[in-house]
Amino acid sequence: MTCLSFLISPQLALHIPDGFLNLPTSLIAWMATIALISLALKRVQADYQERAVPLMGVCAAFIFAAQMINFPIPGGTSGHLLGGTLAGVLLGPWAGTLVMSIVFVVQAVFFQDGGLTVLGANIFNMGAIGTFGGYYLYKAIRFAIGRQSWRGMAVGVAVASWCSVVFAAIAAALQIAASGTIPLGVVLGAMVSWHVLIGIGETLITLIAVNFIWKVRPDLLFDAPRKPSRRIANG
Amino acid sequence: MLLLHIGAFQLAVASQKTTLWHALLPRTRLLCAIALVFAIALTPNGRWVTWAVYGAIIGGVILLSRVPWRTLLTRVAVETLFVGAVLLGTLFRDGGEVVWSWGILRVTTEGITVLGSVGIKMLLSLLVLNVLTLTTSIADLLQALVVLRTPPIVLAILTSMLRYLQVSVREFQTMQRAAASRNLTANPRTARLVLGNAIGSLFIRTYTRGERISQAMLSRGYTGIPPAEKASRLQRRDFVAIASTVAIVIIGQGIR
Repeated sequence: MTCLSFLISPQLALHIPDGFLNLPTSLIAWMATIALISLALKRVQADYQERAVPLMGVCAAFIFAAQMINFPIPGGTSGHLLGGTLAGVLLGPWAGTLVMSIVFVVQAVFFQDGGLTVLGANIFNMGAIGTFGGYYLYKAIRFAIGRQSWRGMAVGVAVASWCSVVFAAIAAALQIAASGTIPLGVVLGAMVSWHVLIGIGETLITLIAVNFIWKVRPDLLFDAPRKPSRRIANG
Repeated sequence: MLLLHIGAFQLAVASQKTTLWHALLPRTRLLCAIALVFAIALTPNGRWVTWAVYGAIIGGVILLSRVPWRTLLTRVAVETLFVGAVLLGTLFRDGGEVVWSWGILRVTTEGITVLGSVGIKMLLSLLVLNVLTLTTSIADLLQALVVLRTPPIVLAILTSMLRYLQVSVREFQTMQRAAASRNLTANPRTARLVLGNAIGSLFIRTYTRGERISQAMLSRGYTGIPPAEKASRLQRRDFVAIASTVAIVIIGQGIR
């Protein structure tokens, strides 16, 4: 039964299956994604050096496991975490993007969750927009309010995680419409109306998880609150 | 992801058979499957004959590989059930649209063409990929990814992720069970709080575990460059398989 409820949870609608996108759309998304991943790979190797492989590996396993948790969304349905913004906040934009990409690769290749030909698009929507865009949105808001305050952190995380889900849904809808599979108005309406709601669940869970880490091990956050000098120097 | 409930490392339930398909190197199987999936999924809508050709070939491969039909169909059913819901959702939405623009009947037939095409593409792709993952173990698939010029560092991260996947999932399930047994998940509000905290706590455990692992690896002489796997050489049957897959793909695209 848990398997079934997991199955029909609408969050998965963000994983576009094979056959929904045509050749030009898939190709453009693949090119953008490969460029981003290779850039992320370079940055991560430079930042983490020989720690890169084990750390990115366990973090990808963590995101994968976190995505499997079902939790109640206000309003009666249940959903599960996408984790893009969470990965960005915890690991930073480059490592976060890399980890999310690895998760989507594993989901597509080993578990047939999301198509193989559209993997580029899926990584772009949820990895690039969710993690990369989500991280910079969060950072801008947090640093505007105050780096040391939980209020700034909370507002930044909340806005970024909601936006990351909704914008990923918009991007997926645009790609599906550009491929001529479903008319733009229909797919945009369906995707956005669902994910506006799902984004609320994503926001709550991300916020609670980040709050826990903020209280217990704030030094593990990518932009740790109490040691500002080192991170700012590294940019 | 859905199939993780069955156990991540029992994915390849039919990997121990001795058939012609299994005799092919994992690389060859992966290449053939990818070529077929890309050909299927990127064929423009409405090319029924092309998909009939591909479908016949896939049927042949399924028979040849002696994948248990029950397992294959269950998996494909589980995977399409969800996507089917998405497709049906769009059809339902389309139904609403038709009433709005009743005058143009062509839109509806085109809608059905698109729906049928997308449905077939999805089904055939899922069949191919399921045959591949049912017959090829995760270790073999990882090794096969080398042929796609996957950077060794990505492969190493993938391997390390798959190794710790089971650990993370079990740890999470333990936390969930612990929360449920203390009656903390009955109320949606507290359930969210508990599960969110569990995710936070799992991240802390994960990160410290990652650092422990990297220290252990370094102490065994790891230098940051993953050791390269020695790939076995392609046999004649591998070349034949790849060539015939390419030929089938081209023939399928040529037929109208």
